[in-house]
Amino acid sequence: MNAVGRSIWRIGWPVTDKDRAAAMISSIFLHIHPARVSRHVLRPTATLALGLISGILFLVLSVTGLALMLYYVPYPPESYRSMKDLQFVVTFGIVLRNMHRWSGHAMVAVVFLHMCRVFWTGSYKAPREFNWVVGVTLLILTLALSFTGYLLPWDQLAYWAITVGTNIAGYAPLVGDRLKFLMLGGHVIGPMTLLRFYVLHCVMLPLLMLMLISLHVWRVRKDGLSGAEVHALPAPAEEAAGVFPASTKTHGLMALSRRPRSSVEARDPNDEVFAWPHLLFRELLVTLAVVVVLHVVSLVFMAPLEEMADPLRTPNPAKAPWYFLGLQELVHYSALVGGVIVPTLIVAALVSLPYIDRRKTGIGRWFAPERRLANTVFTALVIISIALTIIGTLFRGPNWAWVWPWA
Amino acid sequence: MTEDRIDLLRRRIFGIGCVGIGAATAGFLAATFRFLVPNVLYEPSRRFDIGSPAQFPSGSATFLPDRHLYVFNSADGFFAISSTCTHLGCTVRHTGAGFECPCHGSRFDENGLVVQGPAPQPLAWYAVSLSPRAQLIVDLDQSVGPEFRLRA
Amino acid sequence: MGLAVGVKNTAPVGLHVAFACLGLAFLLIFSWVLLQEQTAEWRTTQARFAGLEAATKNPHQLAEAARVGGLRQIWLPDLDRVDRCGTCHLGIDDPAFATAPQPFRSHSGAWLTTHPSDRFGCTTCHDGEGQATDYAHAAHQPQPFVTRPMRPIETIEANCGTCHRSLDPPDAPRLTEGRRLILESGCFSCHDIPGFEGLTFRGPALDSLGYKVLPEWLALWLKDPKSYLAQSKMGNFRLSPDEIASLQGFLLSQRAQVPLDSTGIDWKRADTGNGRALFGELRCVSCHAVNGRGGTMGPELTRIGDKIRRDWLFSYLKNPHRVQPDTPMLQYRLNDDQWRDITAFLLEEYNSAGVVAEPPLVAYQDARAIAAGRAVFERRGCISCHRLPGIEDSGRVGPSLAGIADRDPDELPYGGNIVRHTAENYLFLKLLMPDALGQPSTMPTFGFTPADAAKMTLALASLRKADLPASYVLKPPPPKPYRPAGRFGELMSRYRCLGCHSVGGYGGDLSTVPLDRIGSQLIRDYIVTYLLNPGAVRVSVEARMPVFHMRPDEANAFADYLSTVFLDDSMEGYDANFTAADARRGQELYRQLGCAACHQIGATGGYVGPELSATGTRLKPGWIAAWLTTPSVYQPGTLQPDYGLSSADARALTAYLSSLGRSGRANASAGGTR
Repeated sequence: MNAVGRSIWRIGWPVTDKDRAAAMISSIFLHIHPARVSRHVLRPTATLALGLISGILFLVLSVTGLALMLYYVPYPPESYRSMKDLQFVVTFGIVLRNMHRWSGHAMVAVVFLHMCRVFWTGSYKAPREFNWVVGVTLLILTLALSFTGYLLPWDQLAYWAITVGTNIAGYAPLVGDRLKFLMLGGHVIGPMTLLRFYVLHCVMLPLLMLMLISLHVWRVRKDGLSGAEVHALPAPAEEAAGVFPASTKTHGLMALSRRPRSSVEARDPNDEVFAWPHLLFRELLVTLAVVVVLHVVSLVFMAPLEEMADPLRTPNPAKAPWYFLGLQELVHYSALVGGVIVPTLIVAALVSLPYIDRRKTGIGRWFAPERRLANTVFTALVIISIALTIIGTLFRGPNWAWVWPWA
Repeated sequence: MTEDRIDLLRRRIFGIGCVGIGAATAGFLAATFRFLVPNVLYEPSRRFDIGSPAQFPSGSATFLPDRHLYVFNSADGFFAISSTCTHLGCTVRHTGAGFECPCHGSRFDENGLVVQGPAPQPLAWYAVSLSPRAQLIVDLDQSVGPEFRLRA
Repeated sequence: MGLAVGVKNTAPVGLHVAFACLGLAFLLIFSWVLLQEQTAEWRTTQARFAGLEAATKNPHQLAEAARVGGLRQIWLPDLDRVDRCGTCHLGIDDPAFATAPQPFRSHSGAWLTTHPSDRFGCTTCHDGEGQATDYAHAAHQPQPFVTRPMRPIETIEANCGTCHRSLDPPDAPRLTEGRRLILESGCFSCHDIPGFEGLTFRGPALDSLGYKVLPEWLALWLKDPKSYLAQSKMGNFRLSPDEIASLQGFLLSQRAQVPLDSTGIDWKRADTGNGRALFGELRCVSCHAVNGRGGTMGPELTRIGDKIRRDWLFSYLKNPHRVQPDTPMLQYRLNDDQWRDITAFLLEEYNSAGVVAEPPLVAYQDARAIAAGRAVFERRGCISCHRLPGIEDSGRVGPSLAGIADRDPDELPYGGNIVRHTAENYLFLKLLMPDALGQPSTMPTFGFTPADAAKMTLALASLRKADLPASYVLKPPPPKPYRPAGRFGELMSRYRCLGCHSVGGYGGDLSTVPLDRIGSQLIRDYIVTYLLNPGAVRVSVEARMPVFHMRPDEANAFADYLSTVFLDDSMEGYDANFTAADARRGQELYRQLGCAACHQIGATGGYVGPELSATGTRLKPGWIAAWLTTPSVYQPGTLQPDYGLSSADARALTAYLSSLGRSGRANASAGGTR
């Protein structure tokens, strides 16, 4: 390599393992990964790569979203017209728009499944409690991003879904009206609402999301994957008995940060493989698979676009986006319970979970028998949420009356 | 199969995959560029109808302010000259002996060639044609020289 | 730090195979994305057109056409439209493609000359989804989520009406007819309709109904007006027998105006033969049809004998303005005996059951029934068309029709009728059968034919919600009302001249002669003669001015005013000192130009134009000369040819015509020259 090349790449294409490891830790993009990983976590069943897929989807959404921003106009009624332009006159506009929408829906689903996986493998327990909280925040942000984006096409589907959603928010006691007023930028859904949602969707929430994702991934690096921890060797007896000083080999800065409990040496050296190529290759495969599936779905299934939003014509029934339909079903029974109490309880329960469940059993194993109670309760709640969502989607017709979807 | 043969196969297959991704990536970059080029413009059309030939009597010079054009019907045909001064974009006035720009004093002759003043280029001439329904069409994307005439 | 031994430093083959497959799959799918773009429907259509062009155009034109490729768009921010129809309809503005297959065929007629697409776009007239670039999404056929798919050509005039707001827009016969039907049916009495503001539609006054009509007739009428009068404007209110009975009681108790005193009349001496003669003289059929023939300005009289009480009819004919001040009926000047004869004639001649004895007047005392009837009257909104003192007008009983074409079709009731849910289908059904749409309706059943209902629907379909920029709206202002005052005004009101004649565009059009310059057209004395005894000027025209039996002083008052005020200065002061040579030359020209083909002089000539034997005593020379020179200026569309006469020739003809009727000489020479 000549001098110019060296100034850019520093290390040429690595051939030896040492060079590959060096490339991993010296590259700004690659050093998300450690130089070596436990081979146990390379199995697909370890984490189902759900976190990775969420990240990939976020990247796809960012890229497609940026592209769409060049043609989308955030002012009604031009917003609707620009959606039609994307469909008819922008080269690849249809595919981009479809991909953006289906990736958004997919991300909500994948993030939810990721949370389930983390619960079922007990990976929220110490020392990973705060990362779980960050994850819950990311879940809420994902829902917020999907919700703010839902309004942008400004068609009947968008307008009334957001009407339902902001009305549910308005049920919050004490702050409900104020909250709704701030969300809408007024009393009704109008141009200012669209502008707010647009800025939230394209700038504020993605930035926040990016920061929190970085924190989330950073924590994963520091704490290691629980699937690896399962196979960890116990700390050397000398260390446990206090004979030798605690190992200061950490990822922390100049040994000033406290040593985390599962440090590098706790891993069985026999289980380690180099991240390059093993981890990277598998990540590449997952990325490819996700991209291929997204393309196929975007080419086959059209994202909906109904008539332009008309504040005077309410479709019957008016439904929130699918991930809020479970809530809307509950709201049907009681606005306060369904719209306020249940979501608050869910969020509170999720956030406080790792601080309530302090038992260190079953970390890193799927459906560990020691955690039968916790797993059962959680699974039941998951099934109920899914059932409520399915009811809200398929079994509710005009006036929210019960209908049989095959009728 | 021997280890080496497997290894070779592996490399070949890996190569196929890389070629696929490489090609797709190149295509992706090309597609990105194509995506950025707008296919329709939300602007007044660059090729527009200015009326029937009868609306421009013989020997007349007509100023169309919203089109920034002077339309002439001379003895040997129609032609159109831009009214935008090539210096800094002001609208020139048509006098008996040509055009003059009120902003910085540029002067042009009857054909739009620069006679005097800070203007660097002559005034633009645009192609005039007849539509199938015998209306005059001016095309701002088609520049022509001062010898251009349309007989209609 | 050790490395796991025994673990190969490369991924298993399986993963490599997966990688290869996914890589290839990615490449293929990406190619599919690119291919989809290249095979878009509009591209193939343009390629087909290129083939067609190559066969039709010369190389220069082809080069011109090649410069404009790709998507075509017309952007009209004023109208909020983006139309890309020209992307596929490539020959629309090129007459060379008049017989090309669709979508390349050029536009029919001269519509693109009067409505150039760079100002109007395409969807303004045709509806459809302008932003789309393929056949299906452009909503050539109804498409989900498209509120206004393309209009079938049969109803396209509805969109003409969005800009052309007058009651008779040009080149839109169905729309004009629809608007005329709305005007005549008086829909605007119950509904607020844009374009029909300020118009009043009045049924007869009901304040003396007790004296006016026979009770059996009223019951019959309330049950179904069309059973008495086929062209009744009043619809069938679908009243129950109880409602009819109480309404009958209420209406027959209305006795505000006692009829004029007719106790001195000896009805036994009524001469119906004289009545018949007067009926003809007064030209009643100009406004009142009998047995299907006659005018429509007044009610048909075919069965008047079934309806009207004798004393009231006598009183009304004698002085209609007393009972109903705003009636179009004029007041003739006849004596009581003549009115007696006409009344007797009408009642005897025009009835369905022969002459029957009139039942005596009954006083209606049942206060409860009257109150019930009043409630029905108010509930069904009768006040919209029939003024009745004591009932206040509480505004229009029907909903406003502003923006009706853009009403949400899903909100409208279709009553189980299997039609596509559109606002226009709803309107059509509502016009035909207001009570069969699944909801109780106040609207009466008018019995429109489906063809008429379709035209009215078309007219209503032009009532859109959105405002148009002022530069697109065409609404000529209504003619200024002409209401003269003083003695002339009194006379004009008595004889209702403006019922048939117009001044400044205001008034009736039964007469083809507007009065604006009548003083320069007719010689004053002739006006007097004519008013006292209107004769036939045109043989071929059925309508005649009635014999008013007006007094000579009235006729003179008319003539004075008309000759002083209704003048055209360009015709006044014409030098009428003609020489005999002028008259001779005129006679020669009359022969040369073949005027006798349409005009009569004496016994010879055609029947198309007015008879000219007495022109010298009838028409003023200034008018004759002006008319002969440029007839279409004074009557557009007239059959009189424009000969391009020089002023000398016009003068000669005027001299000749002005001599006719002055002496016997002209008649003889007219006969002789033939």
